[in-house]
Amino acid sequence: MKKLLAAALGILTAIGGFVDIGDLVTNAVVGSRFGMSLAWVVVLGVVGIVLFASMSGRVAAVSGRATFEIVRERLGPRAAGANLLASFAINLLTLTAEVGGIALALHLASSVEPRLWIPVAALAVWLVLWRVKFQVLENVAGLMGLLLVGFAIALFQLGPDWGELLRQAVPPSPPGTEHPASYWYYAVALFGAAMTPYEVFFFSSGAVEERWTAKDLGTNRVNVLLGFPLGGLLSLSIAACAAVVLLPAGIEVSSLSQIVLPVAQAGGVLLLAVVILGIVAATFGAALETALSSGYTLAQYLGWSWGKFRRPARAARFHLTMIVALLLAVGILMTSVDPVAVTEMSVVFSAVALPLTYVPILVVANDPEYMGEHVNGRVVNALGTVYLVIVVVAAVAAIPLMIATGAGS
Amino acid sequence: MTLLASTGCVASRQEPGQATAAVADALAEAGSAGETARIAVGLLDEGRVTGPVADTVLLDQLRVLDDAESALTTLVPPDAATAARRTTGLDAVGDVSDAVVAARSWVAVRSGGDLAPGAAEDTGVPASADDLLADLATALDAADAALAEAGGP
Amino acid sequence: MSDPRGEVRLVDARLHLLSRQVLDVDGEPAGVVDDLALAGPDGGEVEAGRDVHVDAILVGPVLATRLFGGRVPDSRLPRIAWDDVGHVGTAIELTVPSDRLDAAWVERWVRDRLIARIPGGRHDPEAGA
Repeated sequence: MKKLLAAALGILTAIGGFVDIGDLVTNAVVGSRFGMSLAWVVVLGVVGIVLFASMSGRVAAVSGRATFEIVRERLGPRAAGANLLASFAINLLTLTAEVGGIALALHLASSVEPRLWIPVAALAVWLVLWRVKFQVLENVAGLMGLLLVGFAIALFQLGPDWGELLRQAVPPSPPGTEHPASYWYYAVALFGAAMTPYEVFFFSSGAVEERWTAKDLGTNRVNVLLGFPLGGLLSLSIAACAAVVLLPAGIEVSSLSQIVLPVAQAGGVLLLAVVILGIVAATFGAALETALSSGYTLAQYLGWSWGKFRRPARAARFHLTMIVALLLAVGILMTSVDPVAVTEMSVVFSAVALPLTYVPILVVANDPEYMGEHVNGRVVNALGTVYLVIVVVAAVAAIPLMIATGAGS
Repeated sequence: MTLLASTGCVASRQEPGQATAAVADALAEAGSAGETARIAVGLLDEGRVTGPVADTVLLDQLRVLDDAESALTTLVPPDAATAARRTTGLDAVGDVSDAVVAARSWVAVRSGGDLAPGAAEDTGVPASADDLLADLATALDAADAALAEAGGP
Repeated sequence: MSDPRGEVRLVDARLHLLSRQVLDVDGEPAGVVDDLALAGPDGGEVEAGRDVHVDAILVGPVLATRLFGGRVPDSRLPRIAWDDVGHVGTAIELTVPSDRLDAAWVERWVRDRLIARIPGGRHDPEAGA
């Protein structure tokens, strides 16, 4: 019974932890402009993240070492250093977007303007990172993120034309009003939102935090195989809500407040409150994960002591890194930049940085020195290679598409 | 969305097609903002959304309308036809903005704000949601017409 | 080098030593091997054609030189004496705690000057929520 509960917890945490501000914004924007014609990208992204999260979890569980440590050893200092700089920068951008997302969501829940919430949100994130045990942090944020199922509930209550939604998705039929370049730009953005690089660092470091061994591999696989796809369904329901309510009205999503309107229409104030709480939780959880990832990447590359399982005094530079990252995020947000704009940038640049994260995972997961008998099987390798191609194509296409479409306008 | 302003505001001669497209983009943005306001007002009237949320929605859309207006005002029309479209566009965006501003005051009244119900008539705020929605509809129709003229969807 | 059974193992310095994680006796990370300091038979200068042994591991703040090239002079890099090395595996394990290493001074400084000054810095998160 206890094992079943633990398994359920793992799955639920994975579902709740899947959606972050990037998924929220990008799916809503896509739903309001392209309907369900980009749903296939979400599916593609979910399969990809399942593949790579399970690989990085396996690497950490079997070798006892986290991603970046192995990246440094396998790729050599210079290549890994470039990887570090890019990953750290994107991580920081994502962290900024998440903290901004917390502030926007709290603004929706209260009448206090986002700018005042930003330092409060960052302080709260730091306090949790400082004191709360890793397991508790994971579980609470993940479970509360489940409240986002409100979007799925709202979708059903709206009583949409399911046939129409399906027709938009399969085969992908974007509205004639949108330029093909915009379609592909958003495909890349959505892909970047689903396959967020920080997830891989976080997952593999988390496996070391929780002292996974080869025995935990089974649990890892189940959590990832069940949790992430269900999380993907949440993403799709966010897009569908926008497609059902906002698309027909010709509304283009550009703010968080528009994203929750379909929920209010479907379920009134109660469902709206549930969803807003879910957004606060999901963005808060994601902020924790990205802050931790910034600590993990820097500490692992430079060989510092790291980990939430150590008291802060025994992992001083690790904690200092996270504090500095949060301060930088607050600094950027206090310039009154639009958090939604930051989010949109962060997902596109995540797509650009993807190969940097995934190539090393694929290489290490095949290395018998670290993996022993748990190296990748043929099927996993075949899929991994296919995804490598997809990831590289997306990364290469991202910036040109961004320029060509003026960031999607 | 807001970056679209950069595609339109080059202070040098533009192709008429480009300039018209910029006008169309701005009008599409304004239409989107107006429709959002319509939904928000309707939801508040039905009690399906809270006052603060409705106010946030309208505030966000006012910013969008601001961007649309600057995209139009900073445009340099290359010919008379585009100039005419730009003027019509500015009028339409202005109408939508006025309607959304009125909607925000109405939301404040509805949520029991400082604006006493009696003062509503003096400041020109519509007394009921229906009046408000009617004003929004008129403004949006004007925007749609201008958009169609500019060759928009 | 010899392992606890007294047998001698051959390791490739570049493959198995450079860029490897250094762990102290408690398993806590203590840095990354950036270079090796070699010495002649009696601890003197290295001479071509004569026996050479590893005197120390050099760990240090080399991020900039790693990325852009160039070398930090040996005298500027913190050393960990080879005598303190216990085992070479996927990581290099020491026989001493990191607190006793000169090379770990930055971590100690950040800890004492910054982190320990914030309330709760010495609290163990695993000991109760």
